Amino acid sequence: MKRSPCTQAALAIALALMATSASAQQPAPVPAVDPAAIKALEGMSAYLRNLKSFQVVAVTTTDDVAENGQSIQSSGKTTIVARMPDRLFADVSSDKQERRYLYDGKNFTLWARRAKFYATVPAPPTLAQLDDVLQEKYDMEIPLADLFRFGGPKWSATDIKAASVIGPSGVDGVSCIHYAFRQEDVDFQVWIQRGDHPLPRKLVIVTTSDPERPQHSATYDWNLAPSFDDSIFTFTPPEGAGKVVLAVAK
Amino acid sequence: MSRTLRASISIVLTALLCGAAVPMAEAGGKDRARTSVNNKNVNRNTNVNRNRNTNINSNRNVNIDRDIDIDRDVDIDVDVDRHGCCYHHHSGWGTAAAVTAAAVTTAIVVGSVVNTLPPSCTVMVVNGFTYQQCGTVWYQPQFVGGSTTYVVVNAPR
Repeated sequence: MKRSPCTQAALAIALALMATSASAQQPAPVPAVDPAAIKALEGMSAYLRNLKSFQVVAVTTTDDVAENGQSIQSSGKTTIVARMPDRLFADVSSDKQERRYLYDGKNFTLWARRAKFYATVPAPPTLAQLDDVLQEKYDMEIPLADLFRFGGPKWSATDIKAASVIGPSGVDGVSCIHYAFRQEDVDFQVWIQRGDHPLPRKLVIVTTSDPERPQHSATYDWNLAPSFDDSIFTFTPPEGAGKVVLAVAK
Repeated sequence: MSRTLRASISIVLTALLCGAAVPMAEAGGKDRARTSVNNKNVNRNTNVNRNRNTNINSNRNVNIDRDIDIDRDVDIDVDVDRHGCCYHHHSGWGTAAAVTAAAVTTAIVVGSVVNTLPPSCTVMVVNGFTYQQCGTVWYQPQFVGGSTTYVVVNAPR
C-alpha cells in the first residue's frame, strides 16, 4: 500500500502525540511531605483545640455521585456555637434538610425543623465523647466535625502522606496560606488565616477512594467572642413537635 | 390511545407534576463525598463500606443519601404529595389512583421500612410522637444516620 505524503505526515504527528502522551502517563514522583505544611496544620489544630468558645458560620458544598457517575452538588449553610468542652448548638440548612443539633452536656437532641420532629438521647459529658458516640452508635457526624477533630486525641499528622505549601491566597477577603495534603482515601486542602489566629478559613476534601472523586468544601466565618444565652444548648419542643427514634446503627 | 402513547403521556404528566423528583429518582444517588478528613470510622472502613454498599447495590437507598423527601419544603403537605406522586408511576397514569392505593395498602407489612411515603399523608402527633398517616397505614419516621426513613406501625391509640 502506497501512502500519500499527507498521510505519512499525519501518521508521524500521530506517533509523536502517542509518544508525548505515553511520557505524560508516567507516574509522577512521589510527593514529599513538606515539614512547613505539617507545622502549619499542627499550629492550626492546636489553636482550634485551645478555643474556649466560638461561633462559626460555614458555607458548604457536597457532591453526591449519581448512578450515571455524574457528581451532583448540593449546597448548605451551617452555623455552630460551641462552648468547650460540653455545649453545642448547630443549625444545618441545606438543599436537603434543615436540622438542629443540640447538646447541653447531658442530652443530645436532633431536631428536624421543617418536619417538626426530634429525637433526644442521653449524652456523654464532653463534646469529644459525643462525637465518638454519634459516629459509633448512630452512624452520624456532628456538623463541621473536622473543626472538633483536628488536634484532638485521635488526630495525628502522621496519617498525612503528602503535604505541600501552595502559597498565599485570600478567602473572603482574609489573607491566608493555602496548603494541600493527601492521606488515605482523601485529598484535602486547607486555607489557614495568616497572623496570630491561625484559623481554617476554607477546607476542600476530595474522596479519592471513590473513582468519581466527589468533593466537599466549606468556607468558615469565625467569631471568637460570641455572645449567647446558655439556654440555646437545651432543646424545648415547640408546639406541634413530636418525638421520633434516633436509630442505633446496625 | 396506544399503550406507548399513553405511557409517554404518563411520564410527561408525572414529570410535570413532580418537578425535580423525576430526574433525581432516575439519576439516583449512589455515593457521597466525605465531609470530614478526620473520621475514624472511615479510617476503620466501617462507615465508608456501609455507605458505599448500601448505596451502590440497592436502589431503595437512593433517597437515604438525598434525604429530600421529608425536609425539603417548608410545606410538609407539598413535600409528601411530590413524593408520593412519583413513587408508583410504574402503574401508569391511566390507572385510577384508588387502585394504586389499594395495591400499596395490601403490600404493606407492619415493621417494614420505606424511604419515601405514599401520596396524601397527614402528620399526626399522638402521645407526643410524630406519625404519618397515609390512608389506613401509619408510619413512624426515624432518624437513621443523617437521614430519615419510615417504619410501618400499627395505628397508635
